[in-house]
Amino acid sequence: MPREALLARTFVELADTLVDDFDVVELLTRLADRCVELFDIATAGIMLVAPDSDLRVMASSSEAMRVLELFELQAHEGPCLDCHRSGRPVLNQDLAAMNGRWPRFAARALAAGFHSVHALPLRLRGTVIGALNLFQLDPGEMRQADVDAAQALADVATIAILSHRASLEAQTLNEQLNTALNSRIIIEQAKGVIAERAGLNMEQSFSVLRGYARTHNLRLQAVAHDVIDGSLAPAALDRPPPARPS
Amino acid sequence: MAGERRLRILARLAGETTPGTETRRLCEVCADVTAMSGAGIMLMSGDVPRGSVCTTNKVSDVIEQLQFGLGEGPCVDAYHQDRPVLEPDLDEPSTPRWPAFAGPAVEAGVRAIFGFPLHVGAVRLGALNLYRDRPGPLSDDQHADALVMADVAAQALLLLQAEAPPGELAAELESGADFHFAVHQASGMVAAQLDVSVGEALIRLRAHAFGNDRALAGVSEDVVARRLRFDDRSG
Repeated sequence: MPREALLARTFVELADTLVDDFDVVELLTRLADRCVELFDIATAGIMLVAPDSDLRVMASSSEAMRVLELFELQAHEGPCLDCHRSGRPVLNQDLAAMNGRWPRFAARALAAGFHSVHALPLRLRGTVIGALNLFQLDPGEMRQADVDAAQALADVATIAILSHRASLEAQTLNEQLNTALNSRIIIEQAKGVIAERAGLNMEQSFSVLRGYARTHNLRLQAVAHDVIDGSLAPAALDRPPPARPS
Repeated sequence: MAGERRLRILARLAGETTPGTETRRLCEVCADVTAMSGAGIMLMSGDVPRGSVCTTNKVSDVIEQLQFGLGEGPCVDAYHQDRPVLEPDLDEPSTPRWPAFAGPAVEAGVRAIFGFPLHVGAVRLGALNLYRDRPGPLSDDQHADALVMADVAAQALLLLQAEAPPGELAAELESGADFHFAVHQASGMVAAQLDVSVGEALIRLRAHAFGNDRALAGVSEDVVARRLRFDDRSG
């Protein structure tokens, strides 16, 4: 699909919150995947702000532990934390030339093979609810047109999260974000059950969970619940794609 | 600063406690942090015995007794719906609910009541109840504090279930305050290894961490990396 067509389709997908199987983790995982397809970046992730103002990852284009750890670290330091505090984009950060800024984050990111990193705010009017994190393998700047497109996708995703009809029941923004973050924990617990019962790694476990939800038009969180309470056996999930070399 | 609400709560929990009064302290901090008249913590899960963990005063005690006895009320709803249930004016609610609970609770002195679910992912433990002797909604700040407090209380309940050493509750909560994916993945794996609930698995992980004087995150990483099993097929 031509890039412009994929970009347009992504906007429509992100805006479509009225489907029965709308799930915030699925929405943000799709945003992360599309960023990797659309822009010259290797990995993307989305972090949201918890009620105690800690940042927590909600979705990533990679479920590999070395990548998830890069998000965990950003509760304390890194581009997403700086972006959240300032409300402004943090762009084109050369990880090999940090001069002591983000010491733990930069070292881990370099060890994971990344050389440049960006963070774009998830904003609703004056409030920053999180950040979109983009990792490049090579040092170098992101094209301004790509930055603008990525920011526009982040804006649409923010509106989608906050305007989803389930949010009508949530009484505050904090409650809504808290519920979203708890749904990510439910998915991690389900990944663990699948990994153990089906002998898969965490990436494969997420992949079969997500695949089943998509094929059956179910919410990711509902499928995760069924796996955890035993009503859906991991053996009933579809076969995983072959493991990616790490 | 990141985690400021949580740090404030942990600092209040960390004061001197005599052994056996940790849960009492936990409830007092719940009421204190959210500026409420009183607080109570109810266990309602099938994973752990049902019952009251603590209450701060006679009114919170009545609130819990009524809900356990009648099977209705804000905490019962918060637990079953897995979301906060807020009633800023119990005497003159905009939508009346809990017909059996409301009268006696108002009689006992409750004017506003708020129930928050205690959960860790799919593990539902019970609910935190907060009440005030005058009507009015929670401010955004109070609401955020209550959400963080509920999270800390849920972690504290798991620690108590794992028979955390007396007096070390606050320190353990602080050392485990950072979010780690591995903890939640490992609880799913251990649940499958032992054929127990994820809640029970989380308690076993905690207990193993204490027993071996290790951090929960490190134990969890070993489980995820398949260096450690809980079903006796390794060490």
